[in-house]
Amino acid sequence: MTTDFFDKGDLPQGNTMLIEGPLRGGHKVDYDGNVVVMGDVNAGAEIRATGHVIIFGALRGMVHGGADGDVNAKVLALMLFPTQLRIADHITCPPEGYGEIAGRAPEIARISNGKVIIEQLAV
Amino acid sequence: MGEVIVITSGKGGVGKTTTTANIGTALAMMGKRTVLLDTDIGLRNLDVVMGLENRIVYHLVDVTEKRCRLQQAMIKDKKLDTLSLIPAAQTRDKSAVSESQMKKVTDALKKEFDYVLIDCPAGIEQGFKNAVAGADRALVVTTPEISAVRDADRVIGLLEAAGLPQPQVIVNRVRFDMVRRGEMMNIEDILDILSVELIGIVADDEDIVISTNRGEPIAKNQLSAAGKSFRNIARRITGEDVPFFYDGTGKSFWRRVRAVFAR
Repeated sequence: MTTDFFDKGDLPQGNTMLIEGPLRGGHKVDYDGNVVVMGDVNAGAEIRATGHVIIFGALRGMVHGGADGDVNAKVLALMLFPTQLRIADHITCPPEGYGEIAGRAPEIARISNGKVIIEQLAV
Repeated sequence: MGEVIVITSGKGGVGKTTTTANIGTALAMMGKRTVLLDTDIGLRNLDVVMGLENRIVYHLVDVTEKRCRLQQAMIKDKKLDTLSLIPAAQTRDKSAVSESQMKKVTDALKKEFDYVLIDCPAGIEQGFKNAVAGADRALVVTTPEISAVRDADRVIGLLEAAGLPQPQVIVNRVRFDMVRRGEMMNIEDILDILSVELIGIVADDEDIVISTNRGEPIAKNQLSAAGKSFRNIARRITGEDVPFFYDGTGKSFWRRVRAVFAR
């Protein structure tokens, strides 16, 4: 029995690396595809992925989604507080004082109208 | 067969040597045959902290270069006959010893002692690799400061990669008054980042400076809270379940801490 909810043409392509965290300082991941981490990504850790990056934990390290130029790549985290975040060619850092408001809710970073925006994920 | 425990941190100056000396002293006071091994070649301190610097005849590099037997490099503690020290060399550096040589030394020591405590140097280079080579488990020392915790995280990653079981962490030099004012990281913040089990909390204590300079580990001091913390860590190492003073919730934590530190 098959369920045909999706038109297979709509399904996202690409391999996904699944990592059981936490990713500690000094660990580096470089992957052609999406990366999912079950756990935290600590400060000093780096993830570079050509696709999306999904962190099921606190993102405190450096992440680069859409590393080969895909501006549709997204970065999600339960707690988004990276030292630096990059999507495609855009580089951003958390604004001053972000630490106090970080961790309120899961957030998603993506490019909209040519710049990186961060939105809370409604749960 | 004894257990080889490496005490490491990544960051320098957080209290590895003091911790090694005190946990070793506490274990020996419990009757466990304990040997301390200083692997900080070129910058040795464990001998000074133990008050045994005047008794050094042979050191670790003399052993690995076969100028003496392992037994000859061991220095018995002045008072505790269950405690010995093998000092590092001061006139060499960390390239003087290899990982396989270290493993031979620790394998031999395991046969004679219940606990072999290795004082690891700061850093993650050859000195660290040597210290970890023969270890069965690791204790990571950190202070409640972001830089120390970052380095501890790095080191924990390296220990995991070296195949050691998950290390346990000791949070040293805690200033509970600053934690209460929100000026210093609290224990939960640290454990949140490091994601490892806690095995000890040691408060910042002036008496430690004094005892270090005298070469008398503070674990011997029954009146000192820090001394008690080290003795508790030793008890936990032997498998005893010793509760922590701290319960993790702000207010009642402070009330309990006040009671402990009331002078």
